[in-house]
Amino acid sequence: MKNLIRNFALVLSLAFVAPFVSAAPAAGLQQDAAAHDHAAHGAALPRRTQPYSERVLELASGLPLQDGGRIKPLSTYASFMLLRFNGMRTVKLADDRKLKPIEWLLDVLFYPEQAEEYPVFVLADVQTAEAIGVQVFEKKKRDRYSMKELRPHVDKLFELATQYSRIEDKNRRPIEQAIFDLAINVRDYRSLERHFDHARHDFDTSATPDLRRIFGADTATASQVTAKVPEVMDLRELLARNPERAEDLKAATMLLQVAAELIDGTDDLALIPSLKSVEQEPAWHAPIDLLQTSFEAGPVEKPYLELLASFEDVARAAGDPAAFEAKLATLHERVVAQASARGEYEKVPLEISYYKANLIQNSLVLFILGFLLVAGLWLFPRVKALYWGANLAVFIAMALLTGAIVVRCLIRERPPVSTLYETILFVTATGALFALVAEWIGRHRLALSSAAILGVIGLFIANGYETLDKKDTMPQLVAVLDTNFWLATHVTAITIGYSAGILAALVSSVYLVARVLGIKRQDKEFSKNLTRMTYGTLAFGLIFSVVGTILGGIWANESWGRFWGWDPKENGALLICLAQILMLHLRMGGYVREFGLHMLSAFGGTVVAFSWFGVNLLGVGLHSYGFTSGISNALWTYYYIQWGLMTVALVHYVIVRSREAAVREALAAAGKTPGASQQGT
Amino acid sequence: MTMRFIEKFVDGLSSIWLSCVLLLLLGLLTWLGTLEQVHTGLFEVQRKYFDSIFLIHRAGPLAIPLPGAALVMGVLFVNLLLGGILRMRKDASTWGILVTHVGILMLIVAGYVKFAFAEDGHVTLYEGQRSNTFESYHHWEVAVSEPLPSGELREVVSKQEFFENAVPGAEARLSSGELPFDIEVTRFVPNCRVLPKGPMVSPAVPVVEGFFLDEQPKEAQNESNIAGAYIALVERSSGARKEALLWGASRDPWTVEIGGRKFGIELRREQWVMPFTVALEDFEKEDHPRMMMPKSFSSDVVVTEGGATRQVKISMNEPLRQKGLVLYQASWGPSNARPGDPLFSTLAVVRNPADQYPLYSCIVIAIGLVLHFGRKLFKHIRAEALRNASTTGQAQQAS
Repeated sequence: MKNLIRNFALVLSLAFVAPFVSAAPAAGLQQDAAAHDHAAHGAALPRRTQPYSERVLELASGLPLQDGGRIKPLSTYASFMLLRFNGMRTVKLADDRKLKPIEWLLDVLFYPEQAEEYPVFVLADVQTAEAIGVQVFEKKKRDRYSMKELRPHVDKLFELATQYSRIEDKNRRPIEQAIFDLAINVRDYRSLERHFDHARHDFDTSATPDLRRIFGADTATASQVTAKVPEVMDLRELLARNPERAEDLKAATMLLQVAAELIDGTDDLALIPSLKSVEQEPAWHAPIDLLQTSFEAGPVEKPYLELLASFEDVARAAGDPAAFEAKLATLHERVVAQASARGEYEKVPLEISYYKANLIQNSLVLFILGFLLVAGLWLFPRVKALYWGANLAVFIAMALLTGAIVVRCLIRERPPVSTLYETILFVTATGALFALVAEWIGRHRLALSSAAILGVIGLFIANGYETLDKKDTMPQLVAVLDTNFWLATHVTAITIGYSAGILAALVSSVYLVARVLGIKRQDKEFSKNLTRMTYGTLAFGLIFSVVGTILGGIWANESWGRFWGWDPKENGALLICLAQILMLHLRMGGYVREFGLHMLSAFGGTVVAFSWFGVNLLGVGLHSYGFTSGISNALWTYYYIQWGLMTVALVHYVIVRSREAAVREALAAAGKTPGASQQGT
Repeated sequence: MTMRFIEKFVDGLSSIWLSCVLLLLLGLLTWLGTLEQVHTGLFEVQRKYFDSIFLIHRAGPLAIPLPGAALVMGVLFVNLLLGGILRMRKDASTWGILVTHVGILMLIVAGYVKFAFAEDGHVTLYEGQRSNTFESYHHWEVAVSEPLPSGELREVVSKQEFFENAVPGAEARLSSGELPFDIEVTRFVPNCRVLPKGPMVSPAVPVVEGFFLDEQPKEAQNESNIAGAYIALVERSSGARKEALLWGASRDPWTVEIGGRKFGIELRREQWVMPFTVALEDFEKEDHPRMMMPKSFSSDVVVTEGGATRQVKISMNEPLRQKGLVLYQASWGPSNARPGDPLFSTLAVVRNPADQYPLYSCIVIAIGLVLHFGRKLFKHIRAEALRNASTTGQAQQAS
């Protein structure tokens, strides 16, 4: 999507700027094929010799920008860009120092020659690097590469990527996909590192007296050029009529051409809030927009030029930490004031705090602690401290996770679940909550164990999903999803249904494992409690699955004019309902008992997983907005584990029952034979 | 003997065993129908698995006969009615279940009413256009129109179900007392294109006035299929035949003059008349800022009924309900329109007598489930509290 926007913006910009650009860059991947030299337009760039101050990081993090259709802090943008390039949120340097995402982004923007040495492009297979001709000597199979290493090979990279872009996504081989992804990442990186080239550049205005008169000096900054474009255009027109002033015409054209070249491609970072209200103009601006306005509609308004000048001040202060901090503070103040005037800044500090507090990671740590304490509790069942410690750890973990969900709701002004990522958080939180409630009712330790296990697994999956998806987890929603009423009712209900189904499958898996390993074989109460908990969870889940599914139908009836369309996601929800209804009816009819119920409930987990993620991987249907790639392996792993456990449990069950039958027969035979002999005697 | 058989039959029909089998079958059909959608379009899958009585599911070399979901749901309805309501024990412990079962029956009824009686299609208008008809996405009709001296147009139509199986030897004959001729559909082709018969082409189908219908494989998206038909117009007075071919994407009808009367004959998507007229004044599509992701779509329409007009905005999740019809914002185009180009808006139109039944059944089911499981939960909590109290008491006694 972003690429399309970039191309669209590029086409627009070229329409106005093209007359001044001698070698207009081709759209898309070929755009940046030529190696770029940052110093070509000015003096050699400075290098950063000391760490950024806390104040600088705070100011930079708090700069708002418009990305993905919403206003977010620059730190969030940096974090997800780095995750996409690097597969993790830190940059590890050769000297073992680590950079945070915002430090890395500041370096890319303001110290590009230094940042190009950072190994930030992760490649899963060394073959990808070899395919584009990169030297892989001393590289591991999965390793990271710097822009400096890749730069000589970008022509080859883009050539191959252009070739592979003609292949449908699903038909690309892994190496082709890897090259395609790398090309996208390299293109976006190059766009970032060039972003402030214009801000660092001194434009030569000394070539003609007219230019010197317009600018009042022998050099000008990009913001000054942007301000004077209409005048330079008029000058060009005047000069074009006079053949004797061809050289002056050339100089004026050259000035505009260089400005267009430098500012082109700066549309990735929309850091300049519009001066109009949100209703009048929802979109923020990037430098290219302002230049375009100056070509298209005349002089750019002064506050925009002041902001452009502020960015120039920051870029030019690179290398001088004190000046950099001071200029950044001024810039921050201006941007925040403008964003606040539009009512678009208030969520930014909250989002910064959300990511800073690291609620989800801390919750995961506490779930792991809870799990360890629970494990200790099974080994030392009489140690009450372990029990209460585990309770406390799981409770705080759940509270942190709930807090994270609440803060996300506040930031997005949405109900808790509107993306696949959020379903994972919500399923984990509600599952852990059910289990804790069950623990408080029954105090059998089983529910507490389930809560800890579910919390650990759920948050590992959430982290894995985020890493695989590599996108902002608070995206804008497509038009049909833009309804908080249905998100709050249907989506929340169906997700609680998922949660109950997964928890029931987990409890049943514990039962099956315990049965196979002979744990607590003599303790009938143990298995009865597990069965009660499974039944209760299934019953609870059934209410939400059924109501959620029907509410989904009612929503579809409101949106698309039909209650039910046999769409894969709808079918998945129906399958969960049918599976849960079937389990309860089979139990009620006496067709299954304890073991059978747990087998079905464990299988039900895979039905939930199919509905939750599996149908999205089919790539068909109306719910394709939930589609994500890369989770297929994880899903199949879960299927195999669950089905494998069921198979082992079934084989074990058959063997045990056969043995018991044999023993019964032997006992019966033994009882009969003595009797017969007695009779005989 | 007969009574005993009937009793046994009713016992079987109302048994929980049958419920379980039906639920399992419905789940199996749902799963198979979902996976099939990867290869086959939804319309065909729906017909094969969900609207059918029987079907053959092919799994590699295996051909597995299965009951269709329509049959399964029909039997489930009877099973639920008999076993889950009429013959079910009725006491405090089963009230919740009874209410739930009533809700599920309502839902099945809603599904049947929609399946049997609903009409759905769309009306597509460019800004400034108006219409009082909507047309089907899937079904075709042969329409004969005759301009009357009054300036009005009289239409005689025949629905697809009357001619969709027409092949040479089993032609479909369409007659109307208002017409001086019959129409014989000699062949109906669900998806085809019209080609001229060149010197190097020898089609297996008839060539009419130098053209023939070139049958194409069915598209996964049923809406994309363009049907065609070979017809013969047989004059009742003389028995004279005139042959023609009709194609669903033709711009103009085939015109013919018989007995001094002019007729236009065309194959078109099935159409219904609305009791009001809709005029599209403005279509608005808004994207999220600096993205090409749609944020909202809406159509400003003027609805005229009798002499009264009213302005309505139809947007995603906010349809227009009027006179038993519901109009939804479905899509727009052209997708490659540039800023300033005229746009069209497609409004899905549905006439569903069971429109709100699912909402009512959802409420009933929710009440039933909460009653039943709430009661069970309450009992469980009480039992656990008693157990904990007795355990504590024993511990105290022991100490």
